[in-house]
Amino acid sequence: MFLRLVADSFTRRPRRKILSMAALAMGMAVATAALSVSLDVGDRLAEEFRSLGANLLVTPQADSLPLEIGGVDYRPANAGTYLPQADLGKLKTIFWRFNIMAFAPILEVPVQAWSPASRNWSNPSAVEKATLIGTWSEHTVPIPDGTTYVTGIEKTNPWWHVEGDWFAEGSEQCVIGATFSKASGIKAGDTLNVHASDATGWHALKVVGILSTGGPEDDAVIVPIAIAQQLADKPGQYRRLYVSALTKPEDAFARKDPKSMTPAEFDKWYCTPYISAIALQISEELKGTDVRVIRRVAEGEGNVLTRVRTLLWLVTIAALLAAALAVGASAAASVIERRTEIGLMKALGANSGLVGVLLAAEQLLLAFVGGGIGYAVGILLARVLGERIFGFTPEPKLFVLLIILGLAAVITLLGSAFPLRQASRYDPAPILRGE
Amino acid sequence: MGNFSMFWRIERRLLTTNYGRLFVVLLALGAGAAVTSALLNLQIDAKKRLTTEFRALGANVIVAPQQANDEVSAGATLEEGLLAELPSEYEGKRVPAVGFLYVIGEVAKAGTIHFEPAVIAGTEGQGLTEIRPGQRREYLANLESDPDACEAGVKAASQFKVRAGDSLQLRNQGREASCKVFAVVATGGAEDTQIFTKLKTAQALADLGGRLSLIQISVNATPDSVKTFLSSLSHRLPGANVSGIKQFAEAEGRIYYRISGLLSATVLLVLFLTSLCVMAGMSNVAVERKNDVGLMKAIGGSIRRVVRLFLTEAIVLGIGGGLIGSAVGILVSIWLGKAVFGVAAQPRWIVYPVSVTLTVLVSIASAFPLRRLASVRPASVFRGEE
Repeated sequence: MFLRLVADSFTRRPRRKILSMAALAMGMAVATAALSVSLDVGDRLAEEFRSLGANLLVTPQADSLPLEIGGVDYRPANAGTYLPQADLGKLKTIFWRFNIMAFAPILEVPVQAWSPASRNWSNPSAVEKATLIGTWSEHTVPIPDGTTYVTGIEKTNPWWHVEGDWFAEGSEQCVIGATFSKASGIKAGDTLNVHASDATGWHALKVVGILSTGGPEDDAVIVPIAIAQQLADKPGQYRRLYVSALTKPEDAFARKDPKSMTPAEFDKWYCTPYISAIALQISEELKGTDVRVIRRVAEGEGNVLTRVRTLLWLVTIAALLAAALAVGASAAASVIERRTEIGLMKALGANSGLVGVLLAAEQLLLAFVGGGIGYAVGILLARVLGERIFGFTPEPKLFVLLIILGLAAVITLLGSAFPLRQASRYDPAPILRGE
Repeated sequence: MGNFSMFWRIERRLLTTNYGRLFVVLLALGAGAAVTSALLNLQIDAKKRLTTEFRALGANVIVAPQQANDEVSAGATLEEGLLAELPSEYEGKRVPAVGFLYVIGEVAKAGTIHFEPAVIAGTEGQGLTEIRPGQRREYLANLESDPDACEAGVKAASQFKVRAGDSLQLRNQGREASCKVFAVVATGGAEDTQIFTKLKTAQALADLGGRLSLIQISVNATPDSVKTFLSSLSHRLPGANVSGIKQFAEAEGRIYYRISGLLSATVLLVLFLTSLCVMAGMSNVAVERKNDVGLMKAIGGSIRRVVRLFLTEAIVLGIGGGLIGSAVGILVSIWLGKAVFGVAAQPRWIVYPVSVTLTVLVSIASAFPLRRLASVRPASVFRGEE
């Protein structure tokens, strides 16, 4: 009889039930979407915000002071020490190897540049001084464990825009800075001849793209690092390395001096992706280097990341509250509208407890079905939102389904509890009279 | 006129017959309005906060000599007087600007004879610490005003083995100077290897009186507004090359786009849920009012008047919930701003009417179930049929 009553209420007025189920499903869909997006975004937000560029700088330890102004090192090629490029694969073997997103070595060479394209009648042999920056673009690095990793300057410095193409590794191509191009009249497709010393002779490079960075690189010529190494006569060596690492924003613990930590604290610090811990691990792997944190990038990113994460959770809570309110209200509405039925049951001798259990069973059934549908819709919604706003697809998680079903049950019961209590106090007579 | 007062009397009755339901609907509308106005206010505020956050990263505009070249000490320079021509305020906010003159000279600790090449940066202007973020490790404030004071980058300091309070000898092509270190700065950038002196000292060393290598400016404004600043400044300084630092401007734009998308999506979802909530309440109303509507029709009320009655009800509810909820929301957003950005959000009054309007629209849309009442047939209602 009990089951028949429950089943009956679903089949007798399907339209009304569908309406309140729809409300429940929509509310739960929003809750699912908010939860899945924020659970997944939390992990990937840091990756997304690596657009600030490299946050670690590796330089030789025993070095004379770099004469660096506006990102260009003015030391002559024979001053200072260099680092071996062959070691770079080791970066992907440190403890936090998966947090190393990109790295690119830099070798700068002062050169003389000449192009047939910049020659005109007033200036027939326009030889200009220029800085040649040797680096990687989509370079395949062999990792000691046998795999390879593709990385390059376009990943460490994502704000560098190239009109045209990047140079191809291993070719005699180059990319020239926008200011340099404007001043010399050299365009993509022209040939640029560069010369560093008599020992290395002239190199003819094909210009394949124009680079704009808003920085001093706009005046430079960017080439594959192998060409810069030939010109500088430093085969297989580089002078500076930019590393872009995913990090955890620094907190009070991260700012402690690792030397003053207890062994347990040190282990915890070492096994947390703080930027300082990653810097230490890199300097352990690349011998003879000095790894510095680029403070302005690391700190700025940490601050923004913390703020956006807080915001994300706040918004999730707001969406959850709104969803709870909507589901609760529709549950309350569905109980209120059945006053006549409750009156009738009571007139026929059902006590308030039985009426309560009957309605609660109905609401629970509704909650599970509606919650399940809501979950499915919510996953789709999370996909759309994730792709539109953050540019990735959140993975469906099983435990979100459990949370949603639990939430749906609790909220529906809470929402119906108040009107149910009122209903149990109803006097059947006036209700049946239609008052 | 009598019609009019009758209309309102019925309206009042409609609203107050069931206080429980009135409460649920008002709560839903109020909560929706509160979330909407709080998030909209936060969205406007986030733009400003993010800008401030990014300004902590240092300069975003650089004024350089027009002719770019690679030899610093003999290359193109700017007139020192340009520094005075820069606007001191933009959009009501102070604009820190510092002129730099870079010299590649030789440096040694006072009393030693081992000179090593280093970059000496002469600085002049307001707000060096904002232009060059980082921390001063050792800092002797009493030495700062000394005309021969200088700061050493942390790597330079360890190379020359100096601490705050020590003196450095500087020389360049036979010209000599000395300075007293008042601070050691760590930025993680190229500044770590430089020596920062007063502009006059660097100019004397380089024999470039009254010249600058470049000016760095930190404009506290949104990326779009920085672009306006850039173009007005390059009109003002025709002889110089004014450019923005892309690295941070681009990241800022991207992050703001994400935040604002997130907040807008949430506002939409919350309004949608609010409307579901109100709709649930209204579909009850539709059932309950069948008799009323049947009676109204039976005594000659046109469908249009009945609909107008219910629409007015929806609007009144929307305005009520909206006015209260939006006000609460704006108050909440002040606190939220503090929780997220560490600074209380500034209430924007434009948010208030926008959020109230949205709530009223939602409320009207959710009165949709009342449409069923239009088709009520008085006779069947009175017979007690469904």
